[in-house]
Amino acid sequence: MSRDISIKIVLFVLFAGLCALILIPFYAVAIASFKPGEDLIRYGLNLSFDLSVMNLDNFVYLFTGNHAYFTWFFNSLLLTIVQVVLTLLVSATVAYGFSAYEFKGKNFLFICVLLIMMVPFEILLLPLYTLTHNIGLMNSYSAIVLPGIASAATIFFFRQYLRGVPKEMIAAGRVDGASEYGIYLRIILPVMKPSFAAMAILNGMNSWNNFLWPFMVLSDAGKYTLPIGLKTLLTPYGNNYDLLIVGSFFSIIPIFILFVAFQKYFIDGMTAGAVKG
Amino acid sequence: MKQRWFIVFVVMSMTLMLFGCGQSPKSAGGETSVLDAGAGEGATELSYWTFVELHGQHFEKMLGKWNEANQDRQIKLNVTVMPYDDMHNKLSIAVQTGVGAPDIADIELGKFPDFLAGTPQLEPLNDVIDPYRDTIVKSRVDLYSKEGQNYGIPTHVGASVAFYNTELLEQAGVDYKTIVTWEDFKQAGIRVYEETGKYMGTADTSATWQTSMLLAQQGSDFTDESGKPVVNSEPMIKGLTILKDLQDHNVIATIAGGQPDTEEAYGEFNSGNYAAAFMPLWQMSRYTNYMKDLSGKIAIAPIPVIEKGMPRSVGGGGTGTVVTKTAKDVQLAKDFLAFAKLSLDANQEIWNTLGFDPVNMDVWNMQDVTHNPDNQFVQYFQNNPFDVLNEIKDEIQLIKSTSATPTINNVLCTITLNEIFEDGRDIKEALDAAQAQIEQELK
Amino acid sequence: MIKKFLYSQKVAPYVFVLPFIAVFIFFWVYPLGSSFGMSFQKIQLGQEASWIGFSNYEKLMGDGVFLKAVTNSAVYMVLTLAILIPFPMLFAVLINNKFMWGRDFFKASFFFPALTSVVVAGTIFRLMFGEMEGSLINSVLGWFGIGPVKFLKGQVTGFVALVSLATWRWTGVNMLYFLAGLKNIPDEYYEAASIDGASPFQKFTRITMPLLKPTTIYVLTISIYAGLAMFIESMMLWNGNNSPKNIGLTIVGYLYRQGIEKNNLGYAAAVGIVLLMITMIINLTQLAFSGMFKKED
Repeated sequence: MSRDISIKIVLFVLFAGLCALILIPFYAVAIASFKPGEDLIRYGLNLSFDLSVMNLDNFVYLFTGNHAYFTWFFNSLLLTIVQVVLTLLVSATVAYGFSAYEFKGKNFLFICVLLIMMVPFEILLLPLYTLTHNIGLMNSYSAIVLPGIASAATIFFFRQYLRGVPKEMIAAGRVDGASEYGIYLRIILPVMKPSFAAMAILNGMNSWNNFLWPFMVLSDAGKYTLPIGLKTLLTPYGNNYDLLIVGSFFSIIPIFILFVAFQKYFIDGMTAGAVKG
Repeated sequence: MKQRWFIVFVVMSMTLMLFGCGQSPKSAGGETSVLDAGAGEGATELSYWTFVELHGQHFEKMLGKWNEANQDRQIKLNVTVMPYDDMHNKLSIAVQTGVGAPDIADIELGKFPDFLAGTPQLEPLNDVIDPYRDTIVKSRVDLYSKEGQNYGIPTHVGASVAFYNTELLEQAGVDYKTIVTWEDFKQAGIRVYEETGKYMGTADTSATWQTSMLLAQQGSDFTDESGKPVVNSEPMIKGLTILKDLQDHNVIATIAGGQPDTEEAYGEFNSGNYAAAFMPLWQMSRYTNYMKDLSGKIAIAPIPVIEKGMPRSVGGGGTGTVVTKTAKDVQLAKDFLAFAKLSLDANQEIWNTLGFDPVNMDVWNMQDVTHNPDNQFVQYFQNNPFDVLNEIKDEIQLIKSTSATPTINNVLCTITLNEIFEDGRDIKEALDAAQAQIEQELK
Repeated sequence: MIKKFLYSQKVAPYVFVLPFIAVFIFFWVYPLGSSFGMSFQKIQLGQEASWIGFSNYEKLMGDGVFLKAVTNSAVYMVLTLAILIPFPMLFAVLINNKFMWGRDFFKASFFFPALTSVVVAGTIFRLMFGEMEGSLINSVLGWFGIGPVKFLKGQVTGFVALVSLATWRWTGVNMLYFLAGLKNIPDEYYEAASIDGASPFQKFTRITMPLLKPTTIYVLTISIYAGLAMFIESMMLWNGNNSPKNIGLTIVGYLYRQGIEKNNLGYAAAVGIVLLMITMIINLTQLAFSGMFKKED
């Protein structure tokens, strides 16, 4: 029995150590958010906990100052919610089509799904940019949401998940006289709930943190999302480090809440949809 | 059935909302701020992009005066500040596609040639510059011109000067006034390093201010007569050899950020780790804004020369403010721009607010403006910058801006200067490689 | 009539997958095709385009900076694979262990970095790896008597920072993938192995690793993709796309430089096509080797 205890202690110490390493940057940022931005530039980001220079000024500035942080914040929030909801609904629908039916061209289409999971989106930046420009979606959120609305990774994941759902449920639905769409909406969607949680978190993360494409598409500063806005603070001619550091710190919070709230479903959902050989 | 329609409804409303958000022309906040400066109801809203927050402050001042003087043509200015690279990239795309460009924008000298390529998508400004043409330094306007058309309005002369931290120098028993040549500078620097352990100056790896100065002193340039790059020329090798020698004697050292005009470097200077910076005059505003600890300790002087009698200054950097082809009201934008940057009043304010050496050199001799005891720059520095400026007035050289300039800058500032000052690569070798690289990229 | 048609079992599947088809054609096939076309053109925004055959590709082959970018991306990919697959797998197995205390807490805190945006994380790491004596990493090195290192100015040290950033952000995510994979391994296998007297190490190599293979392939595939397409991390770490001596330049960074910064759309498109080929070749080889295709139905 004492062997078990020592294994427990070794494991715990090991993970506590790793955990400390992982949390150090957060700690450093947390401390820095209580110090003047100037110090950050002058002495670097560090771990010195010096109460004499620490104060709440940055937080006061965050909530009362004349800046656009909360515009960015709510833009990001809105964009994330819209994007996640639409992506999940559309992707789930597509995935259901792939899993529930046999139809002509199915294999070909599914190979396309697999292929675009491997194509770096970045190589499409330029043509997508001109396309967006040509169809007049420049500087709009639609240009950000639409290309990702049938997300390959999400479709793939949902299809994996649906493979675990007994086909009898569909058959039973047909017997009851439900239409093809009724079956999907009333029988299948409710069953997919756990996988929705997992995908909501992954897509939410991506969307909340998405930078390059929105950065290229949005030109109106009033539409900037949080990552873009925070990046605009990274100029030597602005003295913006006060806001940058406290804003960065604050930006983690919503996604953290989302994660904590869904953590249980997240692991379950991931497990259920996990790639099976 | 009901549920299905509900979901369809949700999707539809989401989509609508999405498009709605996408198209609403609302613009609040961002790093954007709307300056109304007393503008009334009927004011035209113009958008302005810049990479230097301070420039907005100048425009705000001038806007107030404009709106007062032109009741029927009032303006609201929508200022967006973005980081240097991002702003230029976005602007370049916007003017070339004709979508999303602001009405007015600042373009930095080093990037300007990119905007002049092909058919410039900028409005010629000759007609609004003409009334002021005799009062301003011609070469500064020429920098932003192509085939006789002026596309940008200059902000300053950018005469390069030396900024000395006298407190540090005094500790080492050095008098900056005795420094005339680079040899003098070297001896002083050796002394500073021995006495204080601090460096006299910086070996710049991410900017060509110093290189430009050394080239200009020798009457040379990065490009030849026809505008072709010649970065492995004799004067170039000589100039960099002088700097490298300074580095070898611990007189200058590389600095975090790679040059004095970066936030990392502000910190280093503010902490008194480097005694001198050779920068265009506009570096003054960086001192007053970001290096507050040095107030009262900085003296301005001409930069050292290779041999006595050589020209002691070169115009460095610069921002050409442009009006885009897609501007809402081109004439209004042009008129306002000329008013805000070229009028005598504007030139005085450029000094008052920004601490720049204005392109209207008459201002340089207006004692009440230049020596105004309430001016923050006059207060911050030990001596008056215009005393130095007037001394070197006729020696200010020009480094040409050609279509090859952005590429030259990019290669020197990311590769070559790093190789020379960080890795100690042989200067001639590094410059030959740079020349080859530049030629390859321009092919 | 239309309703009946749409509601038939033959047509319904197409209605379901229609959004994918639309997105695929509109946002993938078309741009990909136009990218391919652009790569044979000299094309700049706002100017006339002209066909120039293989010139862009020829120029690319002799372009030292591009070669540098490819090398950087490849090295980065290999390093991240070498770290971000074995360690998360090991951590997942350990954390899943019945002897583990505070499992949920550790899971959450390992995952925590992934919640930060690259913009934020990159900036934090840029400051941590600053060259000043007081910067976090240098001050830690200082405790051991090591002088300040200019991390972001050297090739090796720059990559240390870059890979640290990736490790920090992705260990937790990959660990969760593996944890999910572990959940699908029936306990009976381990019980049976215990009865046969297998050591924990044997259980790991004989049961856990083989049964985690599908998860591993999945993680491998997305990591190859992420490694080769990396850009923003580098951009944030060096506060721009111009790192000293291009030590942080990646393929996508070069595409961005040529396409967006220099308005050489044709040349940038060629860079993109080369990247696409590299990604495809590596991933298809990898999938072929791991026997993925054979099992795919």
